[in-house]
Amino acid sequence: MNLFLTSWYVLMAASFLMLLSARVKKICGYLFLSSLIFSCLTGLVSAIHVLCFNTPEVFRPHWQFPFGEFYIGIDALSAFFLLLFFVLMLAAGIYGYGYLRDYAGKRSLGAHYCLYHWLSASIMLTLVAKNAVLFLIGWELMTVSAYFLITFYDEKESVRKAGYIYLIATHTGTFCLLAMFLLMGSRAGSMNFDQMMAVPFSPSLVVVLFILALIGFGVKAGFIPLHIWLPHAHPAAPSHISALLSGAVIKIGIYGLIRFILIVKHFPLGCGILLLVIGAVSGVGGVLYALGQHEIKKLLAYHSIENIGIITLGLGMGMMGQAFNQDTVAFIGYAGALLHVFNHAVFKGLLFLSAGSVIRTTHTGEIDHMGGLLKMLPWTGYLFLVGSLSICGLPFFNGFISEWLVYQALLGGVFHFDIHGIIFSCLGVASLALIGGLAAYCFAKAFGAIFLGKNRSKEDCHYKESSFVLCGPMVGLAVICAWIGLFPSMMVSFSLQAAQAIMGITVPLGMEETILDPLLKVTSVLWIAVFIFAILFILKKSLLKTRPVRETETWSCGYAMPSSRMQYTASSFAAPVLRIFRTLLVFQIKTPKPKKHFPAETSLSSSVLDASEYLFFRPILYLIKKLSRKLNWIQSGHTQRYLLYIFFFLLTLLIWKLH
Amino acid sequence: MAQKILAIISLWLHLTFILVSSPFLLGVIGKTKAFFAGKWGPPLFQPYYDIAKLLRKGCVYSTTTTWIFRAAPMIALAAVLVSGFLVPMGGFNAPAQFWGDVILFVYLFALARFFIILAALDTGSSFEGIGASREATFSCLSEVALFLNFTALALISKNLSITGLVGGGVSLPWQIIGPALTLVVISFFLILLCENSRIPVDDPATHLELTMIHEVMVLDHSGVDLAYILYGGAVKLFVLGSFLMAILIPFKTQNIFMDTGIFCSGMTGLAVAIGVIESVMARLRLNRVPYFLISAVIFAVFALIITLVRGGH
Repeated sequence: MNLFLTSWYVLMAASFLMLLSARVKKICGYLFLSSLIFSCLTGLVSAIHVLCFNTPEVFRPHWQFPFGEFYIGIDALSAFFLLLFFVLMLAAGIYGYGYLRDYAGKRSLGAHYCLYHWLSASIMLTLVAKNAVLFLIGWELMTVSAYFLITFYDEKESVRKAGYIYLIATHTGTFCLLAMFLLMGSRAGSMNFDQMMAVPFSPSLVVVLFILALIGFGVKAGFIPLHIWLPHAHPAAPSHISALLSGAVIKIGIYGLIRFILIVKHFPLGCGILLLVIGAVSGVGGVLYALGQHEIKKLLAYHSIENIGIITLGLGMGMMGQAFNQDTVAFIGYAGALLHVFNHAVFKGLLFLSAGSVIRTTHTGEIDHMGGLLKMLPWTGYLFLVGSLSICGLPFFNGFISEWLVYQALLGGVFHFDIHGIIFSCLGVASLALIGGLAAYCFAKAFGAIFLGKNRSKEDCHYKESSFVLCGPMVGLAVICAWIGLFPSMMVSFSLQAAQAIMGITVPLGMEETILDPLLKVTSVLWIAVFIFAILFILKKSLLKTRPVRETETWSCGYAMPSSRMQYTASSFAAPVLRIFRTLLVFQIKTPKPKKHFPAETSLSSSVLDASEYLFFRPILYLIKKLSRKLNWIQSGHTQRYLLYIFFFLLTLLIWKLH
Repeated sequence: MAQKILAIISLWLHLTFILVSSPFLLGVIGKTKAFFAGKWGPPLFQPYYDIAKLLRKGCVYSTTTTWIFRAAPMIALAAVLVSGFLVPMGGFNAPAQFWGDVILFVYLFALARFFIILAALDTGSSFEGIGASREATFSCLSEVALFLNFTALALISKNLSITGLVGGGVSLPWQIIGPALTLVVISFFLILLCENSRIPVDDPATHLELTMIHEVMVLDHSGVDLAYILYGGAVKLFVLGSFLMAILIPFKTQNIFMDTGIFCSGMTGLAVAIGVIESVMARLRLNRVPYFLISAVIFAVFALIITLVRGGH
């Protein structure tokens, strides 16, 4: 605990010092880097210590404030989330330092660095809070500091708009959380999580609480249809902030949901099924929307929704397993979900950082304007490839391991549940298979359009690879991806530790081996694949030694003047699959009416609109706006009138209380 | 130690068996098609000659391509070969079998496909882009069908390793659950046709680029790379075919040679069946292919329902 507190204090102290020294850019930057590295390393040690020795730690200085108390503690669950958070925060922070160097002198980087530390500190506080009020304080600080980080480029209107959408959406969620915690607190007589855990909640109340939690945490996590802020906020923010948003901030929503599950414990079966269905919908919906996007960061934002879907599938299986008293299924479900949380933070961080590196060099996010970047940006390109392979869940990388666990949980459900459980588990299997296929499709599209082929906008362009400060953190994240993919045992046992904390029982004897044993066999099969690859490589090398190897233009079926504009674009690449799912998506095709008798110029633009934004939230918000305009007369602008309102309000309160 | 040596020997035997016999299926298909066309056709061993010829040729690379284009054929062939280790083939038990290896099986195919698609996009050719896009679309649907089939089989056999699902002495209860198994076999056959780009999904014989899927993706590969890709295609057909055989031939005679003989004749029969379909059917229109695959999904779902009802849950 001391290490954790040290890390926290260092962050806070450094944030104030950086504000003071904002004028001296060099000092401010070094202060940022050194405090970041120091507090991440100490924090990592404290989290790993808890996970390795399974010793929950608490810190309770008996510092009370209205309704709450400063009461924090690290159990295995908190430690697991802290672990992934520190890894990502370190990588994104160092990257951000390099990324923002261009802006030195133009913007106040001191404020940005300060807010970065505030965001980190508030996430840390949220993760260790053992009191609902403290949790909400951390939650709000996180929301607000993230808002300022998102609106870094605040001269652009789209960025300001994205910031507003984010702020409104998350505050709607916070409102539900406040209601939920008040309900729980009033039943338990205390806002401490410990007391809440000791109280049994009635089944009907549990359902109400569960719905509130789903909305409150779901907005942050990005469950469909509550996800609308994600595709706006991620592209608006600087890339390292997008990485942190996608990798850490939305995971705090998942953390909150898991903490809630841990506190309430006994749920009816329906809750687990609901979570599973939400997971399936978010997963498939997220990846379908991603296929329809041509803006790299928007595409990645929708993939975050997809991965939240996979995580939720695992959580749903965990809850269903608990409802059916099938502890093994529940353990694997929770562990798979948690491991996917970690993996997603790592590979999505990697993808956002490398996308940022692409945007920084090409000054555009439109993937249809890119192409052929692998030759000019080899590091960025291959790191993006590693991220793509991981997110598609392909073997050799970490995504495969966690998707494997989620599949195991789903198929375990097929074996051990009753008929209702089996039907929903089969649904989960089918949707996870679809998600996997579509994700591979989408990343073939993204990687192919950005890095392969020829550049679509300029025939001969020369870009320079990003510097070491940008590539270093990405390499680190890529190494973690490959490490978990080939040596999964440590992270699997960590996630089992955290699953143990959720379930409140210890892992049955021998279960860790039954989970790990097939995974180790998988890795040995993969090593054989590497061996065969090596043989094929040597064979090819030796065969080609004496044969002619020529280089020439791409064969374009006899056409003499191929140009790079003739390449298949990302939108046409994705078109066939979008056509299959056209009933689920909202297409918008804009083309101007032809003018004059011989129209010379015309254009066509097509986009896939977000159904929940355009068909659900916009009409509702429009209605609210219309209604509230009718109430406009209340807001007259005269101070006297407002005083009168207050007077009447107090009078009614008085009458009501005295009555 | 002795066990380890035995394991390694069985691994090599399995690998040799796959490598030696897989191009033969292509030869049988070609012969069948020639028979239907009233021709004598190329010799049975023509695919072997083709591969040997290509291996002896030099390569031509496009200046647009990168390292990915050169590595993809090797990655694809290695992944497909390794997936063969998970499937029992007649007298040969699967050298690698563990709980949940079906998932690895599907994902190894996905890995191979992913790299072939990337290699197609790497050339910057619009033809190959079209092919890659179609291949990706159809494989999404066939993956769902494949997983649902595995789930149905897992429900029937209460196991999750391929050997436990279909082979390895566990005979599938055709008497009890025959209808479900029939549906699984049909669905699996449809997937097999799609995954190996055969008629009615794709036509391996036409050289009109716009109508092709798989063939057009590998237009730019030449020499050794093309040989690897052809070999990979043959191995994929062989591995998926042997999976189907393991469902269709649910018994073991315990005599290795006898089992292998039955297996080989079964595979030849499968190749003849594919050849017959290629001869009597036309390619589906491209926008009809999704329906074809969705029917595979629906067969699998029905198989699941029947299993649930009959299985006494």
